[in-house]
Amino acid sequence: MITLEHYIVLSTILFAIGMYGVVVRKNLLMLFFSTEIMLNAVNIALAAISNHYGDLTGQMFAFFIIAIAASEVAIGLGLLIIWYKRHGSIDLETLQSMKG
Amino acid sequence: MDYILSLLVFFPAVAGLFGFLIQRDAMRSYAITIAIIELIFSLALWANFDASNPFMQFTEHASIVPAFGINYLLGVDGISLFLIVLTTFMSLVGIISINPNTKDLKELLIALLFLEMTMVGVFVALDAILFYVFWELSLVPMLYIIGVWGAENRIYAAIKFFLYTFAGSLIMLVGMLVMAYFYFQATGVWTFSLLDWHMLQLPFDYQLWLFVAFFLGFAIKVPMFPFHTWLPYAHGQAPTVGSVILAAILLKMGTYGFVRYSLPLFPDASVYFLTPIAILSIIMIIYTAMVAFAQKDIKQLVAYSSISHMGVVVIGTFALNPEGITGSIFLMISHGIVSGALFLLVGVIYERRHTKKIAEFGGLASVMPRFALIFGIMMMASMGLPLTIGFVGEFLSLLGIYKVSELFAILSGTAVVVGVVYMLYAYKNAFFGEVTNEKNRGLKDLNGREYTTLIPLTLLVVFLGIYPKPILEPVDNSVKAMVSLMHQKALTEEAREVIPEIKSEEVK
Amino acid sequence: MSEETLLYIALFSPIVSSLFAALFGTVPKRVFVGVVTSGLIGLSFLSSLALFIHLQSGSGVVHVQMFDWIMAGDFSVPFGFLVDEVTVTMMLVVSLVSTAVHIYSIGYMEHDKGFNRFFSYLSAFVFSMMFLVMSDNFLGLFIGWEGVGLCSWLLIGFWYHKHSAGWAANEAFIMNRIADLGMLLGIFLIYWTYGSVQYDVVFSAVSEADGEILTWIAIFLFIGAMGKSAQFPLHTWLADAMEGPTPVSALIHAATMVTAGVYLVIRANELFALTPEVGLFIASLGAFVAMFAATMALVNRDIKRIIAYSTLSQLGYMFVAAGLGAYWIALFHLVTHAFFKALLFLGAGNVMHAMNDELNIMKMGGMRKVMGWTAILMLLASLALAGIYPFAGFFSKDKILEVAFDGHYYILWATLWITAGLTAFYSFRVVMLVFFGKERYKDFGFHPHEAHDYMIWAMVPLAVLAVIAGFFEHQFVAFVSNVLPVYEFSEHTHHMVGQLILVTSAIAITGIAIAVFSNMFREGVFSSAFRNTILFKLFDNQYYIPKIYEEVITKPYMELSKVFWEKVDMKIVDASVDGIANILRSTGENTRGMQSGNLSYMLRWMAGGMMLILLFAIVYTYSDVLLNILQGVAK
Repeated sequence: MITLEHYIVLSTILFAIGMYGVVVRKNLLMLFFSTEIMLNAVNIALAAISNHYGDLTGQMFAFFIIAIAASEVAIGLGLLIIWYKRHGSIDLETLQSMKG
Repeated sequence: MDYILSLLVFFPAVAGLFGFLIQRDAMRSYAITIAIIELIFSLALWANFDASNPFMQFTEHASIVPAFGINYLLGVDGISLFLIVLTTFMSLVGIISINPNTKDLKELLIALLFLEMTMVGVFVALDAILFYVFWELSLVPMLYIIGVWGAENRIYAAIKFFLYTFAGSLIMLVGMLVMAYFYFQATGVWTFSLLDWHMLQLPFDYQLWLFVAFFLGFAIKVPMFPFHTWLPYAHGQAPTVGSVILAAILLKMGTYGFVRYSLPLFPDASVYFLTPIAILSIIMIIYTAMVAFAQKDIKQLVAYSSISHMGVVVIGTFALNPEGITGSIFLMISHGIVSGALFLLVGVIYERRHTKKIAEFGGLASVMPRFALIFGIMMMASMGLPLTIGFVGEFLSLLGIYKVSELFAILSGTAVVVGVVYMLYAYKNAFFGEVTNEKNRGLKDLNGREYTTLIPLTLLVVFLGIYPKPILEPVDNSVKAMVSLMHQKALTEEAREVIPEIKSEEVK
Repeated sequence: MSEETLLYIALFSPIVSSLFAALFGTVPKRVFVGVVTSGLIGLSFLSSLALFIHLQSGSGVVHVQMFDWIMAGDFSVPFGFLVDEVTVTMMLVVSLVSTAVHIYSIGYMEHDKGFNRFFSYLSAFVFSMMFLVMSDNFLGLFIGWEGVGLCSWLLIGFWYHKHSAGWAANEAFIMNRIADLGMLLGIFLIYWTYGSVQYDVVFSAVSEADGEILTWIAIFLFIGAMGKSAQFPLHTWLADAMEGPTPVSALIHAATMVTAGVYLVIRANELFALTPEVGLFIASLGAFVAMFAATMALVNRDIKRIIAYSTLSQLGYMFVAAGLGAYWIALFHLVTHAFFKALLFLGAGNVMHAMNDELNIMKMGGMRKVMGWTAILMLLASLALAGIYPFAGFFSKDKILEVAFDGHYYILWATLWITAGLTAFYSFRVVMLVFFGKERYKDFGFHPHEAHDYMIWAMVPLAVLAVIAGFFEHQFVAFVSNVLPVYEFSEHTHHMVGQLILVTSAIAITGIAIAVFSNMFREGVFSSAFRNTILFKLFDNQYYIPKIYEEVITKPYMELSKVFWEKVDMKIVDASVDGIANILRSTGENTRGMQSGNLSYMLRWMAGGMMLILLFAIVYTYSDVLLNILQGVAK
């Protein structure tokens, strides 16, 4: 029997993987993937909890997030391509113009 | 005469703004003219001042932020009157004393005129916020004067001066806000008016906290031991005119704050903190006098001597009886004149030799006899010799503290001994003996510009030493009114004992 | 002329004189400056004389108030002046000696660059001294008190190019200031006790205060007197003050300023009369100083220092009388002493002048042949100092011994008695070594000459008074008895007076005889056996007191000042302020790395921060559970 806890654990694991990616990856594309994974981890959690309580609000949120993530990826990738054309790299280290 | 206080405050600033339009060559005479007019205004204020009225006169009132009771509220009484006259007078003297060959003379003079506005503003403001604004504004021109026209290490000194005093006054600002909040709680009305605050009887423990907050702001300005170390740097690096204004007036703002805020607002706390403050003052008197004795730089010596004398002012203020407080206010004025003059005198030799090291001099009495004479008179005034201006205030301050405690009087009375030691020592090394340094042999005695600044000061030192009554009388009336207010407000038995009751017929 | 006008002339003509001379302060010598100032001081003397005659005729005390000086709170003090019998006595002494000294100085300072300046200072001193004695309140007295201190500083350091002169001037001023602090405290206590510092108010209410306060007032005032009158332990400045020109020593450090302390005790006699224990202390200290100073004078070789020590010793005598309540006798000795001591100093000035400022008496000798008049005048002064009949010193000094005897203070009496012998010995040692015996100065290549005639003439009035003043004892008592209590001798003493005088005169004559004979046979040189004794070394080094002060006070004060500045002020106070500033600064410096602008770096911070907040949330939510677990672990 798959209970809520399984979903939550799955979501946590995915979130942790995404987070790990955000922290260690230097490639901007990989960062996008990682954030995507984190968003989907949240989506899973939302959908599962929504189902558990029989409240559709959570699933609504999940849809919203999917929509926003899609548009975000579209804009983000667009910016990324322009950046690549300008600088020839999408490595994070080169993406630094501010110095404290 | 209705708007004379506003005129006094804003005239130099507006004139300073116009100064930007004046040609460089004409700037010196322009600034001197402005300072003379300002002095005449302040003398007119004195002439129209009713000496027998101990309360606020020439008050002006306009709302700024009615919702929080922040007002444009000005007024003078006997306590502030002479500090205003001193400010305008010493500003004039300072402006005249500047060497016309100074670089960026125009900007320096404009800074001084702005400074004059803020200083007069501090002494006439009766609204705490207004007071605070002028108080903080006074730092800005001084920061520039030290930082631009100072000696080698000027940036460090200027920043130290600014940050140190600024930190202190921020705590004072918090105190002011809390005070206004307490007033609001007690009466349901927001006000920052000092006159309203004076009427409020605060609970004892509130008084303690607020006293400490105000104390920090004032003590750093005075500067009291151990918050004094910014002063020697500031004086050591500032140009002559900066030192003159700093010693003569800016330091007085701190002690004026004690008299205007700490005492009447928190009479019980003043009595409660009397002993620690007296001990700090005594340390200030003896310790800084000894430090002054060890100085090799004559300007630093005068700077430390300033601190030592301010110790007497503080201890006189906290004698909490009319003798002591009147004495300390008189001492503020006399110290303003004398220390200003001493810095001018140091400036005289600095201008000639470009050094302030005592060891570089020696035998100056034979090369510059008139300079030695005026220096000698000022030195005697600084040591508090009778019939000079320095004696009256010092005597009354010590007389006042004797009533509080014999021990404090004996210890702070050592001021008359330790003050003599470093002064005579320096005088002997700089003026007595043979001329050992060849560079000193051809030094010229005072020139016309120096005479114009020093002779009026010398005359004042002697005249007010012999006849201090024109100043003492109005000061004393206002002080008596204040002490009687403090006595009425006092909550604790102890405070009522220390603060004497003034017979009602004496408060006219 | 009204009495008030006379009073103002007596008081203010010296300051006019001083300001007049000051006008010429920086120009070369002008003889008329000396003449005019002498004239003005003489005018002051004549006014004093007129006031004296006025008082003599019994027309009462002159009391004027000019205007208010300091008024604050309940404190109020005017410039008020009072001329009564005691004041006028002092005024006469001061103005007379000053006039003589002024005239004398015209000759003495004739080759000095600072001739005009000198007269300005000297007249300013006379003004301060007149102010001191004429004031009708304690604070006015204090003005004069500080004024004479200032003038003394100026005059001791007159030859400021000499290092030692500047040093001695500062020493005198600082030591006086220490004592003045005591005086100030006395004034404070008087004000807070009686509510006024006017003599008449204080003295009429003097017995109302309780005994302890009175004692403290007396002690504080006497501390002030100790400084000005150079009583032990504040005595070292007086000998060093001999750095000043000799007329200054005659006027300030012999006749007038140093007696101000005695004057204070006499003036406040109502107060001191109520505090006999302080009086006894004053008398004991006086007797001690009398002997102590005389021993130092015994072996010294410096003519001015010997006379300075003798002044110190005589001041001790005066304090014995004043302390034991015989105020008029103290005043009487003050007066006679002023005459013969000023004379002695002026004589010494002549000798110095003749010897090109040489002070060592061992280099003189036989000088009576070249300066006969000076020799005679100094001989007269020395006889008066030694207390030989019929000279003035005999009358006044003998009275003091009688007082000590009368009060059954036999130790004091014996001390003073021995001192009388010592005094006679050292004063004649000087006379013999300078004016008699072998002409040693020739070996050192000096060519001494007699002083100007008018200098000698200026000394003559003093000499006359030094000889005859004693005979006016009874008139003097009658005159001052309006103000001062008359000291009544007991019946017993009355019978003994004859013997006492005999005994005292005997020791004085013995002292003179020893001095004369030792000079005849041994040229005044002490035997080498005596020179090696500890006693001689003590005397010769002034009991090592200057050295002790140097080691125990001056040097430590200097060292401590340095430590305070370099270690405490710079290393602790200032460093801690800078330390706070540096902490803030280094915090910023160390954390600026966070803002590197590197995205991955910032993401890591974000992730870390989020974890931290999560952890915090968990701990906060489950705090009780966690606590239970922790307690379980602890068990």
